[in-house]
Amino acid sequence: MNYAIEPRPAGTQSQGVEPGYAHTANRWPSQPLARRPHTASELSGPGGLARRLAPVRGDLAGYGKQRAIGQLILVRARVVDEDGTPVPGALVEAWHCNAAGKYIHPNDSNDAPADPNFYGAARVVAGDSGLVELRTIKPGAYPVPDSGGWWRPPHIHFSVWGRVWLSRLVTQMFFQDEPLNEHDAILNAIREPEARSRCIARLAPTAKGPFDALVYEYQLVVRGRKAAPGMP
Amino acid sequence: MTLGPFFPREFAQGANDLTALDGKPAKGEAIEISGRVTQLDGAALDNVVLEIWQAGADGRYDNPDFFGWGRAATGADGVFSFKTIKPGAFEGRAAHVNFLVLYSGLMRQLQTVMFFEETDDPVLSSIGKNKRHLLVAKKSGPRSYRFDIRLRGEGETPFFGD
Repeated sequence: MNYAIEPRPAGTQSQGVEPGYAHTANRWPSQPLARRPHTASELSGPGGLARRLAPVRGDLAGYGKQRAIGQLILVRARVVDEDGTPVPGALVEAWHCNAAGKYIHPNDSNDAPADPNFYGAARVVAGDSGLVELRTIKPGAYPVPDSGGWWRPPHIHFSVWGRVWLSRLVTQMFFQDEPLNEHDAILNAIREPEARSRCIARLAPTAKGPFDALVYEYQLVVRGRKAAPGMP
Repeated sequence: MTLGPFFPREFAQGANDLTALDGKPAKGEAIEISGRVTQLDGAALDNVVLEIWQAGADGRYDNPDFFGWGRAATGADGVFSFKTIKPGAFEGRAAHVNFLVLYSGLMRQLQTVMFFEETDDPVLSSIGKNKRHLLVAKKSGPRSYRFDIRLRGEGETPFFGD
C-alpha cells in the first residue's frame, strides 16, 4: 500500500513549552523542528513488532481475591489511521495509576497506597477490526509535586504503533465529565476544542453490557493515510 | 502527548539488543551505540525512552534476518545503550539510525537521526551546515559509537518535525 504522512495541524498539538508545566521549558528544543524529505527509512515500519515486544496482559483488574480495588471498567479502543481505516495487528501499550492515584514505579513519590492486586501495565495486539480491549479499574486523580496545586485528572497512557515509523502515537486517554479535565495542563495544551474532545473517552450505554463493568469507547488515530493515486 | 514520568520499567527494558532475532545472530558488524540525554541546565535525565529504527547491514528495512527496531531507557546517569548491527547505505541514503525520544515534559515525541559520518544524505542536508556535526556519532571504541542528545540549550540536538 502506498502510504502518505502529512504534518499534523498545529491546533491539535502542544506548541512545546507550556506555561503550566515547568519541565517543558527545560526540555522542549529552542530551535524550530526541521522539515525533512521522507524516504523508505521513515515510511517503512517495524511490522511484526511482537517479535521484540511480547504481548503482556490486557486485564489489569483481575478476579476474585486478586481483584484490584476500584471501579471496574472496560476500555474499547479502536486503532485506525487518518482515513478511519482500522489497523489490524497494531501493538498497543497502556499504563495507568491505581484507584488511589499511585503508580507502581520507583519514581512515584506520591504518598498514596499501593494495591497488591494492581500492576498497571498492559501490552496487547489489535484484532482484525483494529480493536483492543483493556479490562481494568478506573485510575484515580493525583497531585503533581511542586506544581502549585495542579492535579492530574484520571487518565490512561497509550503507546501505539501504526503501519510505519512515522505513525507512532503516544497519548493519554481522559474520562468524560471529569471536573479536573478543564484545568489539566496536558489536555489543555491542545488548543482546538474539537481535537481535545477526541482525547476523552465516552461512556457507552450501560444497557449494552457487560453487566459488571462500565464501558468506555475510544479511538486511537495513528498517522498516515492511503496516498491518493497518482494522475494517469 | 507527553509520555509522563512513570513509563513502566518492564516496558523500557529488554528490547535494546538488535543483534539477534529469534535466537539467531544477525549478519553484519555488531556495534554498541550509547549516549547521554540532558536538558537545558545540562542535568542528566532519568527514564527517558529512546526507540530506534534502522536498516540491516545490507541497507534494507525488510531484512528477514534482522529486525531494525529497538527501545532503551536512560538510567539515573542519563545514559542509554543499544547493541545493534551497523546499518548499510541504501537508495540514496547514507547509513543512519532513526531515533524517537519520549519523555516527561516533552509534550510531543521528538524525532532525530544518528549518522556515522558527515556525508551526502538528503535528511542530513535538511539541517544547517554548522549543525550537521551534532547528528554524527563519535567513535568511542573499535565497535562503539557515542550519540549524546541535548534536548535544549548549548549544543542542542537538531530534531525533525514531520
